Amino acid sequence: MANKHVVSFTLNGKEVDVAVEPRELLIHTLRERLLHTGPHIGCETSHCGACTVDLDGMSVKSCTMLTVQCEGASMVTIEGLEQGGVLHALQQAFHEHHGLQCGYCTPGMITRAYRLLQENPNPSEEEIRYWISGNLCRCTGYQNIVKAVQAAAQKLAAAQPA
Amino acid sequence: MKVELEKSFPLPAPAEAAWALLQDVEAVAGCMPGARITERVDATHYKGTVTVKLGPASMAFRGEVEVKELDATARALRLAGRGMDSTGTSGATMDLHARVEAIDAASCRLVGRSEVSVSGKAATFGGRLMQGVAEQVLQQFVANFAQRLPVVPVGAAGDGAGAPVPPPQRELNGLALAWAMLRDWLRQLFGTRRA
Amino acid sequence: MGDMSELQAREDQLQGMGVSLLRKEDARFIRGQGSYVDDIKLPGMLFGALVRSPYAHARIKGIDKSKALACPGVVAVLTADDLKPVKLHWMPTLGGDVQAVLADQKVCFQLQEVAMVLASDRYAAADGAALVEVDYEELPAIVDPKKSMAADAPVIREDIAEKKDVGHGPRTHPNHIFTWEAGNQAAADAAFAGAAVTVRQEILNPRVHPCPLETCGCVASFSKATGNLTVYLTSQAPHIVRTVLAMLSGIPESKIRVVGGDIGGGFGNKVPVYPGYVVAIVASIVTGVPVKWIESRIDNISTTGFARDYHGIGELAADADGRIKGLRFTALADHGAFNSHVSATKFPAGLFSICTGSYAIPNAYCRVDAVYTNKAPGGVAYRCSLRVTEAVYLIERMIDVLAQKLGIDKAEIRRRNFVQKEQFPYTTSLGWTLDSGDYVPALEKVLKAVDYEGLRREQAEKRAKGELMGIGIATFTEIVGAGPTKACDILGIGLFDSCEIRVHPTGGVIARLGTMSQGQGHATTYAQIIATELGLPASDIVVEEGDTDKAPYGAGTWGSRSTPVAGAAAAKAARKIKDKARQIAAHLLEVGEGDLEWEVDRFTVKGNPGQAKTMKELCMAAHTGNLPEGMEQGLNAVSYYDPPNLTYPFGAYVCVVDVDRFTGEVKVRRFYALDDCGTRINPMIIEGQIHGGLTEAFAVALGQQIPFDENGNHLGNSLMDYFLPTAVETPRWETDHTVTPSPHHPLGAKGVAESPHVGGIPCISNAVIDAFAHLGVTHMDMPHSAWRVWQQCHALGIDRH
Repeated sequence: MANKHVVSFTLNGKEVDVAVEPRELLIHTLRERLLHTGPHIGCETSHCGACTVDLDGMSVKSCTMLTVQCEGASMVTIEGLEQGGVLHALQQAFHEHHGLQCGYCTPGMITRAYRLLQENPNPSEEEIRYWISGNLCRCTGYQNIVKAVQAAAQKLAAAQPA
Repeated sequence: MKVELEKSFPLPAPAEAAWALLQDVEAVAGCMPGARITERVDATHYKGTVTVKLGPASMAFRGEVEVKELDATARALRLAGRGMDSTGTSGATMDLHARVEAIDAASCRLVGRSEVSVSGKAATFGGRLMQGVAEQVLQQFVANFAQRLPVVPVGAAGDGAGAPVPPPQRELNGLALAWAMLRDWLRQLFGTRRA
Repeated sequence: MGDMSELQAREDQLQGMGVSLLRKEDARFIRGQGSYVDDIKLPGMLFGALVRSPYAHARIKGIDKSKALACPGVVAVLTADDLKPVKLHWMPTLGGDVQAVLADQKVCFQLQEVAMVLASDRYAAADGAALVEVDYEELPAIVDPKKSMAADAPVIREDIAEKKDVGHGPRTHPNHIFTWEAGNQAAADAAFAGAAVTVRQEILNPRVHPCPLETCGCVASFSKATGNLTVYLTSQAPHIVRTVLAMLSGIPESKIRVVGGDIGGGFGNKVPVYPGYVVAIVASIVTGVPVKWIESRIDNISTTGFARDYHGIGELAADADGRIKGLRFTALADHGAFNSHVSATKFPAGLFSICTGSYAIPNAYCRVDAVYTNKAPGGVAYRCSLRVTEAVYLIERMIDVLAQKLGIDKAEIRRRNFVQKEQFPYTTSLGWTLDSGDYVPALEKVLKAVDYEGLRREQAEKRAKGELMGIGIATFTEIVGAGPTKACDILGIGLFDSCEIRVHPTGGVIARLGTMSQGQGHATTYAQIIATELGLPASDIVVEEGDTDKAPYGAGTWGSRSTPVAGAAAAKAARKIKDKARQIAAHLLEVGEGDLEWEVDRFTVKGNPGQAKTMKELCMAAHTGNLPEGMEQGLNAVSYYDPPNLTYPFGAYVCVVDVDRFTGEVKVRRFYALDDCGTRINPMIIEGQIHGGLTEAFAVALGQQIPFDENGNHLGNSLMDYFLPTAVETPRWETDHTVTPSPHHPLGAKGVAESPHVGGIPCISNAVIDAFAHLGVTHMDMPHSAWRVWQQCHALGIDRH
């Protein structure tokens, strides 16, 4: 049996422990051991962003991360955005503004947009396009995705106490 | 993806000594960084390996070398090699014409013309780098070759024309190669032209 | 009879046709709960990794599996020899050819499948694949299709070298596949001989790849106990695949189940049956456990269905006013090493003969010569409507070439050549009967919206200052909705489609169709059609596709055929149900059927509006004992729709570009797209499709290509090199529409999703070339990347101060 390491981290608020070989990628651990199939695999050169997760307050392409690097990390995936049966403003906005078609880029895209709005609650269109340039989409042409992020930003801002 | 190179290198040794070394296929392979002859099938057929390291990752090519022509009068030979990397994703062939030309009693010139063709992953991802890499590898080879030649008294070395002979290299280290290429490229941009 | 606001309220409740209904499928996708094929995990499942050839053309002298079999986790290694006993080392293609499943004695394209390693997980499988040793003898490769038919060309397909015909007529050379022609060559030649002006241009449509974000893959599961084979598959045509698998494997079709779940984009890439699927199925049969095979991105770009690679020559003959009298379009088609792309038996070059476009051209001839090369197989893919991208690119480029030759404005020359509204249905000189069209108002609307005259004035000013600005126009007619079974079939199976509807006592509905969404929103749009037809709310209508055990037979979703064919079937099935409901209503209200009127969601008695039966009430009534004499219970129907014709959506697009003459960089300043797809089911979904298709057109026109070196090595088969636009460079799209219904479609709807790609590519390309038109440039081959455009600037000497 190849040398396996036990790695512990928090995934969407829950403690998890996995035993992995050093070479195992985080995306495979998430999808196959932890059964979180929201993040997807779209390439092997870290271009497409379908695997994007939020790790210790940063967007990370989980295809370019070894699971053994995640000891003690705090991780959020698309599955963790809905809280108490209430969709995150981004999830709702993607639906209302037709920001998805086949849905394959959607988990990574929303997870990235989530980090954007944490850092910049009022982004311009240029800023949104720049921020999501690491997330490829073949179906939508991005136009409705941008609208969805703008709508979510407005909704979140309105919900803030004055 | 083909690379053609024609190079000539001055060597601080008599032509006979250089020619004797050139015919020793196992010794010549030993001068190629990362290369090793593993089996002598017969007088003109050999099997060997070439290992390239790129940081923690390494690529191992395995193949055959055939001595196609040998002309003692002209001190010329022709080698043909073909190989595949151990994962089966890249292939390479090489056709090399090499000869030794005497300059004077204590120095000579190693003249080589080679055509290297690469297929598969190495071509797709390495194609852009091939020319530069081939030149670097050849420089390392010559340095190793020169080092194996019998020692010649100081002062009798060649006319100083051409590039200084670099120190010998045993391993084909990808990162060192890349650095050498970058260094050369910068030199080309900023260095003065030579006749 | 209710008043207008009450009727409107009832109609709003249905959320039927014409409403921008938010999508029902979103709920799982926004939560990351889609079910794509790589999400599937079955007990005991093995992972398969393919060993692929590094050479484009080589003999296989031997394969040594020993090191791979010794690798921990590896269970088996399959080669062609292992598939021979079950005769599955070769398989029929959708194009009438055969293709090697695992290379049998030779490989014909780089990265062709040679062996499959089965292991307990993907890492062990990859380790095993790296240890399989294959001894190759390299052969010279043919990469240039112009060299395929040379007398001394190496023979690529030794397996069919003796065959004089591979399904599409006589072959003149071992590397020749077919020659197909349409029209009247003599009449066209005569038109050219007598013409006031002729133009000729060589036009390349380079090889590109659809590159959906999800690669191809499957999970194959054969049960030794029941003899049933289940295949979860990325397929745009699950039923066709099931039939092909039955033909291939000898397993009865009734014991094969193909399941298309959620698919991460298709764009034509997921129509063919790939060797990986077949090997995974055999592996499952042999091992008795499920086998998963998912390809990598590099495998996807390198080996699956590419698009285009048409080397064309366009010729137009016209009078001095630019009215086209004759057309001759020929193309050399590079199909790669196997003829694998979907093609109707009678149309091996797809619908290329739509190349007369939106114009009334009296004499036309077109010919396609297809050849083999040592490249990946394919050709029809990437939102092409079956070679319509190739056809429309040629005609829209050539009419610009003609305009430049005669000095006629590029919008005006189109007006002069349009098929006029009164001429529809119009049969072109290449044999297609365009169902309906109204090209002039569409063009005028677009030109007005962009202030075309103003743009031409601005262009003249910029040219005087040495700046490059281009205006591109495309007025295209599409041909989609394959198609009438007399003309359109795949391996003999007609291209009809189907819809089966079951209505429940409490008013819910389930509809299953033979198409297969890959993001087009079928669960929403089909529900809207049925909602309007049946008067039941869309929210109560569940739509299913993709499970061949449940769905009625259909040819799948490609070539924009879902709305024209399956959408029609949905309407027809719903109307059968409505007819039965009318009979029940008449019976319950004790009137004759002729005394009833349909009003949004109910039948009312003429002249006595208080007497009515809502559809909801009739749903329950149909399950009771109080029915007309002899009528069976239930409110269900199935319709298999064989369309009488294809449909012809059209559009008018304008693109404005600014080109930097020092760097060659092209910026799309504005793109205005007007589409006419007849009746519009869901405007929001249509707009989304237009955005997507235009973005893919932008990618093709400005940056995509699959290049090879002279040995057949791929030079750009990963996302490091292959251009997929990001949000930063993608332009903002402006959309508009007119509505010209199709006279033969039950809903008047035509289909639309490929139009933006078909029209967008020539529009952008025309714009770039128009930027150089005043300098005498008549054509530039795509892609118009900065490097290539700069080369044009450099050749003209304008890249310096």
